[in-house]
Amino acid sequence: MTAFLTVLLALFQIGVSNPNSRCFLCHGKANFGVVENGKFQSLYVSPKDFSTSIHGKFTCVQCHTDVKVIPHFIKPRKIICLQCHFEGNTVGAPVKWMPEKYKESVHAKALAEGNPNAPNCETCHTTHYVKSPKDSTSATNRRNVPELCGKCHTKEFEAYSKSIHYKALENGMLGAAVCTDCHQEHDVLPPNDPRSALNPQSVVNTCTKCHSDTLLMERANVPVQQPEAYSESFHGIALESGMVKAANCTSCHGHHDILPASDPASPINPRNLPKTCGKCHPNADQNVAKGKIHIIPSEKSAGVVFYVYTFFKWFTLAVLAFLFVHIVLDLSGFIRRKYARHE
Amino acid sequence: MPGTSKEDSKIADAAERLINDVVNDQKIDLDEEFKSRLKRELIERIREHVESKRRQEEEKRKKEAKTKQEYFLRFGLNFRMQHLTLAVGVIILIITGLPIKFHDSTVAKIFFELTGGIAVSRMIHRVGATLLIIVSVWHVLSITLTKTGRNDFKQLLPTVEDMKDFVKNIKYLLGLSKERPRYGRFSYVEKFDYWAVYWGMVIMIFSGLLLWFNNFFLGIVPKFMFDIATEVHSDEAMLATLAIVVWHWYNVHFNPEVFPFNPTIFTGKISKEKMLKDHPLEYERLKAETEKASTGDKPR
Repeated sequence: MTAFLTVLLALFQIGVSNPNSRCFLCHGKANFGVVENGKFQSLYVSPKDFSTSIHGKFTCVQCHTDVKVIPHFIKPRKIICLQCHFEGNTVGAPVKWMPEKYKESVHAKALAEGNPNAPNCETCHTTHYVKSPKDSTSATNRRNVPELCGKCHTKEFEAYSKSIHYKALENGMLGAAVCTDCHQEHDVLPPNDPRSALNPQSVVNTCTKCHSDTLLMERANVPVQQPEAYSESFHGIALESGMVKAANCTSCHGHHDILPASDPASPINPRNLPKTCGKCHPNADQNVAKGKIHIIPSEKSAGVVFYVYTFFKWFTLAVLAFLFVHIVLDLSGFIRRKYARHE
Repeated sequence: MPGTSKEDSKIADAAERLINDVVNDQKIDLDEEFKSRLKRELIERIREHVESKRRQEEEKRKKEAKTKQEYFLRFGLNFRMQHLTLAVGVIILIITGLPIKFHDSTVAKIFFELTGGIAVSRMIHRVGATLLIIVSVWHVLSITLTKTGRNDFKQLLPTVEDMKDFVKNIKYLLGLSKERPRYGRFSYVEKFDYWAVYWGMVIMIFSGLLLWFNNFFLGIVPKFMFDIATEVHSDEAMLATLAIVVWHWYNVHFNPEVFPFNPTIFTGKISKEKMLKDHPLEYERLKAETEKASTGDKPR
């Protein structure tokens, strides 16, 4: 009796409670696939991962609408995300700005030009396991972004994996910069595009976004005054006024393989500074390492510059106060003499 | 301003005569109170008229005196051209320099927009800097090589007398003493201006050259020297600008005695009246010199 009920329950579950189970009879087997153009292509979908994905509550045929009978002997059409994610859809698929942004990106352009390797939505979001980026198992979760982009951009990932940003990420600092923080998520644009966050005019703002965040920098143990000091420096002012060749953050710190000054491989390590500054200033030698960089004159940490600043502050105040009093005396004397003459 | 009592009584007489004339002519009777009020009013009117006439005449006399005024040559062409070059240079430097210091302000943003950014404005700044360097070399040459230059420089050196003049002037301005300090060729105010420019020029030119030719100096001086130069250049610029706008402009433009401006530095001329008032010792010296020259010439 018990056995009978169990079988019935199993049948019931297969047939009624989970309509996808009929698909998983084949597609749920790990080695299921076809040979196409002489190459084995897996057609496996992990039932567990699919059911935990954001689309887990849907049936397979809700997307694969051209599959009418199971088993199917035709190859289903390719799914287009926009077949649900469009304005006015009836299944409640959210419509956001991301697809529009994506259309502007280098990825979409390459795809339109017919590059077969150019990524589409599913390249990053996966086909069957779409999850919210907040989910730690999502391919687009902050922690997994470097590896995700690195699948194609291998050289960049190799450089980035040496950086302090990646090390911090590995150590659980989820605030550390990943690819998408600098390159933007959907509208990935080349740095020479004025809309790009990596355009020379914008790159300072891009770094400043995190590096002026007091809480984040405190946790990362990085001084927070650097962006402010830079924007007051001649490099910062020149760049702000439109001189694109002026040094920005990446000119000295590098970009993918950013390392702290204490690291001997870092371009801002005192030993490497002559070479780094020498990129623009051909006469740079060991002298460039003698003195602090990113100083705010009104702060004591600026060292000798702070004392120069303080001297001039009080000197200017004293001189001007003296001159002002002299002028007031001169004027009042003039007025008094004028009155005296009239009486 | 009330006139003498004699004049007052004359006016009063005239007023009374006028009233009497009217009474006699029209054959009307006026009561005493009205008469006295009328008299007072007439006196006032007549006095006003007399005074305005007097004032007009005085002004006319002053104008005539001015055109007939005796003038002295205070600054030679060399001195005047130095000032002009310096002034043009400093104005260029301030206009192109301040937007860098106040780069966050809207005015600075408009300025960079108009000039085409720092890449252009710094070239203009260097034109001003070149004028400043030229004038400094020129000035040093002129105070060493020319006789007038050497003389002027000697008289520009601060002395104990200047300190005394300063105390005297303050007392005079406060009304504690009636005695105005008697200045020589240069008053302590002018000496202060001169040495302020001296100090400013040295600081600005040296720090400016370091920043201008940073590439050349990078191999010679440590990096912190550039930081100091940047700070000093920016702070001294502010001090100099404020000193010019507040102090120099007051002394030569907004001071009611010279408003709207004192043209001596451009024309080189100074009136005898001004000379006697502002530089009496210099006047006496010049007079003594000319007398000596004329008497000294005779025996020859």
